[in-house]
Amino acid sequence: MSAAMAAPALAVEAIGLQKRFGEIQAVDGIDLALAPGRIYGLLGPNGSGKTTLIRLLTGLARATGGEARILGTKMPSRPMLAQIGYMPQAEAIYPDLSVGENLTFFARLEGKSDPAAIDRVLDLVELAGRKGTPALELSGGMRRRLSLACTLVHEPKVLFLDEPTVGVDPALRVQFWTHFRRLAAAGTTILVASHVMDEADRCDELVFVRNGKVIGRGTGAELRSNAGTDNLEAAFLILSGLDPEGRPLDGGAAA
Amino acid sequence: MNASRILAIARRIAQGFRRDERTLGLMFVVPLVVTSLLGWVLRDTKDTTVRIEIVNSDQVVGARIVSALSGLAGDPANGIVIAGTVATKGEAIDQIKAGNADLALVIPTDLVATVTAGQRPTLTVITEGTEPGAEASQFGKLQKAVATLAGSLAPPGSTPALIPQITHETVYLSPGADQVDVLAPIFLGFFGYFFVFLLTGISFLRERIGGTLERLLATPVTRTEIVFGYSLGFGAFATIQVIVLTLFILNSISVPAIGPLPPFSIGLGVGSAGSPVLAFLIALLLSIGAVNLGIFLSTFARTELQVIQFIPLVIVPQGLLGGLLTPVNQLPDALNVIAHVLPLTYAIEGLREVMLKGADLSSRVVQTDILVLAGIAIFFIVLASTTIKREVA
Ligand SMILES: Nc1ncnc2c1ncn2[C@@H]1O[C@H](COP(=O)(O)OP(=O)(O)OP(=O)(O)O)[C@@H](O)[C@H]1O
Ligand SMILES: [Mg+2]
Repeated sequence: MSAAMAAPALAVEAIGLQKRFGEIQAVDGIDLALAPGRIYGLLGPNGSGKTTLIRLLTGLARATGGEARILGTKMPSRPMLAQIGYMPQAEAIYPDLSVGENLTFFARLEGKSDPAAIDRVLDLVELAGRKGTPALELSGGMRRRLSLACTLVHEPKVLFLDEPTVGVDPALRVQFWTHFRRLAAAGTTILVASHVMDEADRCDELVFVRNGKVIGRGTGAELRSNAGTDNLEAAFLILSGLDPEGRPLDGGAAA
Repeated sequence: MNASRILAIARRIAQGFRRDERTLGLMFVVPLVVTSLLGWVLRDTKDTTVRIEIVNSDQVVGARIVSALSGLAGDPANGIVIAGTVATKGEAIDQIKAGNADLALVIPTDLVATVTAGQRPTLTVITEGTEPGAEASQFGKLQKAVATLAGSLAPPGSTPALIPQITHETVYLSPGADQVDVLAPIFLGFFGYFFVFLLTGISFLRERIGGTLERLLATPVTRTEIVFGYSLGFGAFATIQVIVLTLFILNSISVPAIGPLPPFSIGLGVGSAGSPVLAFLIALLLSIGAVNLGIFLSTFARTELQVIQFIPLVIVPQGLLGGLLTPVNQLPDALNVIAHVLPLTYAIEGLREVMLKGADLSSRVVQTDILVLAGIAIFFIVLASTTIKREVA
C-alpha cells in the first residue's frame, strides 16, 4: 500500500485475470503491465473479451480469477475510481439532461466542480455551442463526443476508452488523437479498445486478444512482422485465425 | 457519504423532470383531477326522489299512514313521493318491476292489533335488490319519514312513541361529513405512494438498461449515495405533490358564474381536524418508502412495461387492504395480517387519525404509524441499495 502507492511503476496491472460467464470464459488468464504515460490499443474480434477486460480493470466486474491493479491499488477500489476515466462502449449519458448538465453531473460525482474544466472538454469535443441542447437532440456522433467529454472532465490519470471514436467524423477523430497524445505526454495512461486499424497504428503498443487470451502484443510494426504482412488489417485477420478474404485458417494463430 | 454527490444525483432527477412536462402533469394534475372527480361523484350525485308504492292491507290505519306520508311528500326536502297505493304485495312488486316505483312499503294487516298489544309493529320494505348502495339511501329516506310519522302511526290511546325519534350525533367531524371528508386521507396516501413508486421504478430501470448506472458506478459514488440521492430527488417532487394535494383537499375557492359557466369551486374544502403538517409528514415518509421500493422492484423488470405490470401486484392490493374499501379491522384475519405489513395501511390509518380525529404526535396510534412507516422506509432503502451492485456481473 505505502511505497507502491506513492510512485507505482505501473499504471495498470493484470495478473492472470479471468472472468467466466457460465459456460463462456470471456477473459481467460490475461496478464498486462501498462506503463504510465503511454497509449495502448486493445484489439480483437467481436466477443473476444475486450469490454469484459476493461470492466474487470475498472472493478465494474468481479474477476473469477487473478487480480487487477490500478496505480498499485488492487481493484475493485472505490477511491481509485476518482483517478479512472471509463468511456463505455454504449454511450451512457442522460438523454433528458442538456450537454452542460450531463457534464456538470459527472464532474460532481467525481468530486470536481470547476466550470473551467467543463468548458475545456466542451471545446475539445466541439460541443461548446450546444451546451444547452438536450442530449436527446444531439446526433449520434455528437452523443459519442459528449460521452467522451464526460469521461475526461475530471482529468483522470488512467483512461479506459471502449471504442471511443465510433461514429465520430474523421476530422474530429484526428483531433481526439492529438488530444490523447497530449494527455499521455502529461502522464495519463490510456487503454483504447478499437476496431479501427489506423487508430491502432497511433498507439504506442497493441494488445491483441482472442477468446479471452492475449495472442499477440507489441508495436504495430512488430505485430505486422510477426504476422508476416505489411498491413495491420491483414495482421488482424491472421491473428484472428482468418485468411486475407476473411475465411477461417485451419491452424489458427501463433501467440 | 458525500453530500455533494447525493445533491448532484437529486439535482439531475429534477433537471430531467423539468424537460418532461408530461410526467410533471401526471404527478401534479392527475391527482387533482381524479380527486375532484371523485369528490364530484360522491357529493353531487343527483339526489333523486324516492317513489314509494304503499301496500295497504289494513284499510283503516293504513289510510291514515298513506295520508300522513302524502303530507310529507308535499315537502320536497323529504325526498319522497307516493307512487300509488295497492292492496297486495304482488301488485307492488309489479309496479317496481315496471319502473313505476323505487320501493314498496307494506303495511301489515295486523298493524292495529300489534300496536294495541304494545308491541313494535313490523313494516316491510321491498326494494329491487340490485343496487345496495343506492337502495340504502332510499331506505334511509323512508325510515326518516316513518320516524316522523311515529306519532300518527300510533292509534289513539296507545303509547305515542313506539318508533323512537332518532337524532344523529358524531364523535368526530360533523354529522354533515360526507364520503369525501372520510376518503380525503386515503387520496393523500394513495397518490403519494402510487406516482412516486411508478416514476422511480421507471427512472431507475432506465439507469439500469441505459448503461448510466454502470457509468455511475465507475465514479467514486457509493450505493448509499445513489439511493439517498434518488430519495431526495423524488422525495422533493413527492413533497410538492403532497403539498399541492393537501392544499387542494383542505381548501376550497368558490368561482362565481362566468358567462354561460355555472359557478363552481376549486378544491374540496375538506375540514382536517388535525395538523396539515403532520399529515404531510406521514405522506412524505410513505413516499420515501415508495422511492426505494421502486428502485428495488426495477431489478425485476427488463422493460418499462414490466414496471407498469407491478401496479396490480404492488399498488392495487395495498389500496384494497389499506382501508379504501373496508376498514382494516373488518378484514378477514388472514388479510388483516397482510394489511399490517403494507405501508399504505399505516399511512392511511395515521392520516385518518390526524385529519379526521385531530390526533397529534402525542397519540399512540400516530406514533406507531410514524415509527412503522420510518421502519419500512429504512427497510426499503437497505433493500434498494443491496440491489445496486458495483460489480454488476
Ligand atoms: N454480462 C454478461 N453475461 C454473460 N456473458 C457476457 C456478459 N458480458 C459479456 N459476455 C460474453 O463474454 C464474451 C466477451 O464479451 P465482450 O463484450 O467482452 O467482447 P468484446 O471483445 O468487447 O466484443 P465487441 O468487439 O463486440 O465489443 C462474449 O462471448 C459475451 O457474450
Ligand atoms: Mg466490447
